[in-house]
Amino acid sequence: MSLSRRSFVQTLGAGAAGAWIGGRGREAGLFRLDALEAAEQNAAGSRLILSSNENPAGPGKAVLDAVRGVFSDTGRYPFAKVDEIAELIARKHGVKPENVLVGSGSTQLLRTSTHVFCSKTAGLVAAIPAYEECAGYAQLMGYPVTGVKLNSDLKMDLDALLGASKGAGMVFYCNPNNPVATAIGGKATRDYIAAVHKSSPNTSILVDEAYFEYATMPGYETMVPLAVTDPKVVVARTFSKAFGMAGLRVGYAIGHKDAIKKMSDWDGSGAVNMLGVAAVSAALQLDPAVLAAESKRNTEARAFTMKWFSDRGYKPTDSQTNFIFVDIKRTAAEFRAACAAENVMVGRNFPPYEKSHARISIGTMAEMQRAVQTFERALAKPAAAA
Amino acid sequence: MSLTRRRLFQRLVTLDETQLNPEVVSDRGREARVEFAAQATPAGAKPVRISSNENPLGPGQHVLDAIVGKFPEAGRYPFNATQNESSLPAAIAAKFTGAKAENVVMGAGSGEILTNAVRAFTTSAKPLATPWPSFENPYTTAKKIGSPVREVKLNDKLQVDVEKTIEASKGAGLVFFCNPNNPTATVHSHATVADFVKRVRAASPDTVILIDEAYHDYVTDPNYKSAVDIALATPNVFVTRTFSKAYGMAGLRIGYAIGHAPTIKRLNDFKMPYGIGTPHIGAMLAGINNPAHIEQERKRNTDVKAFTVKALADMGFTATDSQANFIFVNLKRPAAPFRDACAAAGVLVGRDFPPYEKTHCRISIGTMAEMQRAVDVFRKVLGAATTTAAKDKQ
Repeated sequence: MSLSRRSFVQTLGAGAAGAWIGGRGREAGLFRLDALEAAEQNAAGSRLILSSNENPAGPGKAVLDAVRGVFSDTGRYPFAKVDEIAELIARKHGVKPENVLVGSGSTQLLRTSTHVFCSKTAGLVAAIPAYEECAGYAQLMGYPVTGVKLNSDLKMDLDALLGASKGAGMVFYCNPNNPVATAIGGKATRDYIAAVHKSSPNTSILVDEAYFEYATMPGYETMVPLAVTDPKVVVARTFSKAFGMAGLRVGYAIGHKDAIKKMSDWDGSGAVNMLGVAAVSAALQLDPAVLAAESKRNTEARAFTMKWFSDRGYKPTDSQTNFIFVDIKRTAAEFRAACAAENVMVGRNFPPYEKSHARISIGTMAEMQRAVQTFERALAKPAAAA
Repeated sequence: MSLTRRRLFQRLVTLDETQLNPEVVSDRGREARVEFAAQATPAGAKPVRISSNENPLGPGQHVLDAIVGKFPEAGRYPFNATQNESSLPAAIAAKFTGAKAENVVMGAGSGEILTNAVRAFTTSAKPLATPWPSFENPYTTAKKIGSPVREVKLNDKLQVDVEKTIEASKGAGLVFFCNPNNPTATVHSHATVADFVKRVRAASPDTVILIDEAYHDYVTDPNYKSAVDIALATPNVFVTRTFSKAYGMAGLRIGYAIGHAPTIKRLNDFKMPYGIGTPHIGAMLAGINNPAHIEQERKRNTDVKAFTVKALADMGFTATDSQANFIFVNLKRPAAPFRDACAAAGVLVGRDFPPYEKTHCRISIGTMAEMQRAVDVFRKVLGAATTTAAKDKQ
């Protein structure tokens, strides 16, 4: 199966060039919606992007003010300032700067980790489906890629994953897992990692926690504390999701200093930009209540949307993210086309579930209230014969 | 703050290693980090930073306004932005006769493209050929991935030695031709570049030719012309450009390669997805649609450079024929003590560039006010050194 996200992006690019409504406001008191904006964003015909798991509110005013504050330095190379945010990130996690590598989004770090931990003889192992960056890069480099099917709850099948991990260069462990939105608890993850170490001591495990801030499940844990002591475990994080900075391109990896050095030696932080650096610096100094409010906002809009589908007999998975993966009893393609006809953009195909499931990102509550009206009409159409 | 100090100390150690081995300096303007770590400047006064070949004025208000205009989309991925990432190659191509979107690949700075070119086109059996000294990114990347490097000394005018580079290109996977050449600031004419390409193609048809034109917008030599026309028409040839220099966007990390479509396609395979941010797209488009601003920046740089070159010439120190926003000047003494003395007076100049570190220093061109201040410092530092040397002789 094709794991190329790039071709998807190129396809989407042409269609996404239409008018996206500017001036979105943030709920939960961060960046208050005024009545006019609320009306605008719900106007029939305005494009509602629920396809890329972005934070609909963006980074907020304080962060954007910080970006404006760095304008006098936009002509300067950002490298020294990147070191400063590496230090802030280290402080946030209670680790040392030597445990942190900043990248141009976590995308860069996923590619780097695949490069340094995999080879033509020690390939990549990942759940199918999972976020494709590592698999796409492995294919480019000619490294073997092994996909492991999910279990019936659409969670990672840890026993099968363990079996496949033997001899692998790296396991891509996306938790919560994009696109299926499910997560594995901390204990099960630690047990899995320990078992991999035992059966395949040279295998590295990249734990992608892009959606960490949106997980609400009891027992879910970050692997950062393990990663800093374990040279075979690296955690990837991003500012593109809960922090609302997908357009500013900053992510980071945390791990043992030897693993981080290996990654950094291959591809450092030269691609990280000054606006993103200023934004991150401000965001990490915000009151933690701001991030908590964003998580709460998402949880509420997510619960509303999941209930709407459940009430109508369409089963979503147990979402721990800012998107849901729901059995719509028809192909994603026909559902997507019907929604797109009303300018509501939902996620693409995710084989092997493209015949039954759609991925829908969670917007603001007002956006989801509009979106479900579109979903209602899309689902009222008879499903095409399989 | 103890972590900061440790970090600085680590960087300081790195700098010492850099004196002997340039491997650390892989990104353009990486000096920015090294100097931050290593050079003590007087407290209070903002240092004059003329070490990294940056544009001291930044990108201009039209670009900053465009960034602010994108703030409502800061939370959107570049592929979801109203001005879409995928539109950038066509926007660049529109500025060049005969170019199409398929001839352009974007990068997070041209550094990303140089790195990817070495990854894509060199192997342990297919070396990199590069002038030396030149911009180090290709050299550094080749060393990292285990591709052999053929270093080609400059000629006595401190230009890329065309004949020797052609010789070194035979059987190479990639040949790097930096024009104007960083750090020596010299340039070759369009005719010379065309001849170089033709002869490398004849002698070694599989060798990919990378012509780096990072400083293109600063060139004033009438014999110079961009090699983009050659790249578009010739298999295995491409040109790299950056928005970090005349466009004043070093902090935004935007560059591109333009050239023969199959070569560009290979670079595109290695391209990091979404490397250019959403506000950055707006910034770049605002930049390329204001050519008058670049004209003005070239003129400004030319005037300030002339002032600086003359001031040093009046002191008895000769610079190469600079076609960039920096000069490479023969100080008749090692760069290191000069650099340290200037730093102590709040003026940060370029690092060592072996094998010229015993005689030459690279000095970027700041604003006129900055260069007036810098020249005063140079006069004191160089004057004092001359006096000391004279005393030693007595």
